[in-house]
Amino acid sequence: MSGNESKFSSELVAKVNELWKRYPHKKAALIPAMHLIQAERDGWFSDETVADTAALFGLPDMHVRGVVGFYDMFHSEPVGRHVVRLCKTLSCKLRGADGLIQHVNERYGVKNGETTQDGCFTFKHFECLGHCANAPMMLVDDEKHLDLTADKLDSVLGGLS
Amino acid sequence: MIQETRAMLEFADDPKQIELATYRKNGGYDAFEKALKEMSPDDVTQEVLKSGLRGRGGAGFPTGRKWQFVPKGNDKPKYIAVNADESEPGTCKDRVIMEQDPHQMLEGTLLAAYAVGATTAYIYIRGEFQKSIRIVEDAIDEARAANLIGKNILGTDFSCDIWVHPGAGAYICGEETALLTSLEGNRGYPRIKPPFPAVEGLWRCPTVVNNVETMACVTQILRRGGDWFAGLGCEGSTGTRLFCLSGHLKRPGVYELECSTDFTLRDVIEQIGGGTLSGAPIQGVMPGGSSFPVLRADELDCGFDIESVAKAGSSLGSGAIMVFDDTVNVRDVVLNISEFYSHESCGQCTPCREGSDWVRRMLKKFQTDGPDEGDIATLMDVTDKMDGTTICALAVAIVWPVQSFLKKYPEAFAEKVTA
Ligand SMILES: Cc1cc2nc3c(=O)[nH]c(=O)nc-3n(C[C@H](O)[C@H](O)[C@H](O)COP(=O)(O)O)c2cc1C
Ligand code: SF4
Ligand code: FES
Repeated sequence: MSGNESKFSSELVAKVNELWKRYPHKKAALIPAMHLIQAERDGWFSDETVADTAALFGLPDMHVRGVVGFYDMFHSEPVGRHVVRLCKTLSCKLRGADGLIQHVNERYGVKNGETTQDGCFTFKHFECLGHCANAPMMLVDDEKHLDLTADKLDSVLGGLS
Repeated sequence: MIQETRAMLEFADDPKQIELATYRKNGGYDAFEKALKEMSPDDVTQEVLKSGLRGRGGAGFPTGRKWQFVPKGNDKPKYIAVNADESEPGTCKDRVIMEQDPHQMLEGTLLAAYAVGATTAYIYIRGEFQKSIRIVEDAIDEARAANLIGKNILGTDFSCDIWVHPGAGAYICGEETALLTSLEGNRGYPRIKPPFPAVEGLWRCPTVVNNVETMACVTQILRRGGDWFAGLGCEGSTGTRLFCLSGHLKRPGVYELECSTDFTLRDVIEQIGGGTLSGAPIQGVMPGGSSFPVLRADELDCGFDIESVAKAGSSLGSGAIMVFDDTVNVRDVVLNISEFYSHESCGQCTPCREGSDWVRRMLKKFQTDGPDEGDIATLMDVTDKMDGTTICALAVAIVWPVQSFLKKYPEAFAEKVTA
């Protein structure tokens, strides 16, 4: 069922082969594999990437599409070179998340889900990211930035290209 | 003054504690080795039962009893799934264990696997926790290289593999059956219980689902004894627990505390949390994450243990104590909570899918326009009908906080009377 493996890099296919060994059923490796696939395919799942993923796993396209739609970390639209996730849940809200969201809207001209014109970053409001005692906080790609202020946020985003 | 009791966090401030050599030097894996060589699987379960340990994921189910539900015999493989989805608003403690003392979680996982006869364990870590994922994977690699994980561990006939399984951003996957559905490679839909996972979990095989902190407690119990653990805290809330203090506090943070009926929730907020940052009076507290009823400032003089907080009408839940002062509008607070749950509903059950969004829109209207005559009664009625009519407890995690805010802050939700 996996005749399309060559559509992904050989490194990726090798990693997925390793993942498959961890589970009695290959399907269980889908979400871990989709993280690798999304990273290799510019950070989002196009129809083609969905189809290639489905072929690799021998699953219907609809299954993969459903998984993309269900999980907030998978994207079904193109994203910027960096994804900025700002927490908006209660502990962060109480320590100023609303102000930071407004700051990003005004200074960078992007609202929730939008990408800056230069394609540098996509901005997302996220629900609680598990760092509530260091609120407010954001994730930029995989890096966390805690006890955030507008100044700190600017210096992090200012360093992105 | 209330003091921290550091058992789980004893070595957490040493950056080398994540390395196997340091963990072992500090007594790590001695308990596991002893269990493998000198104790039967049932002895391990008995020690955990004796400790009085209750799960730290939010529901407080006795851990030893959960293990006893796993059917004996070898006809089907058995699994452990460690719940590291940590997404309940206010909760940020499991991450501390994973980032600062990952072997402690792995040792507890191995002990649990030995006790129930599991041969594979998955650590389901929320996908946003990249740092935790890296550190836990490195710890597993080191432990595997030292034959603490894998085949014929330490020369015995016990074999157990452990793998990290990353999630991808969905609160509902913290619910134990949704976690399993997700782990199998699907959208994270909760399943109807019974059957409970201990009987029918991953691939319909017996699966123990336990929280990260629960596993760390298991390590402590086997290291220091079930009697030692039972002697800490108080009846019904034994041992130490990690509490996450957040919101309008002077000293937010993760603290390891013993529960007690000798001091109160208010004492903890004041002495450990330092009171409010601005000095403004407390307006309300969510004592166990946002899924439970709010407590008003005049309801904080209950004892600091599971039973006392339950008697006060809420729950210590996942140990997430969120405090807000009187500078914030409670209508904004409850709207924020409802936005969270309506976003995170998985959509399988109509009362939850439609109800959560309807509640959110109603509270949005309250925030800007205030309630019209009859709105509060309708909202109460709709939320009543969401209670007990759904597959999982996410629906009541909307009902309880929302109803409690309406009841406890009537002045903030005064209806506009039409002339
Ligand atoms: C909506 C919902 C979300 C949950 N989220 C988590 C979570 O993020 N982490 C967790 O450990 N338990 C969570 N739980 C509780 C789990 O279903 C389960 O009770 C727990 O993992 C069992 O572990 P324990 O016995 O060690 O506490 C959640 C429950 C519900 C209903
Ligand atoms: S109660 Fe809500 S979250 Fe739980 S299964 Fe039903 S729709 Fe999904
Ligand atoms: S509320 Fe923002 S990290 Fe938890």
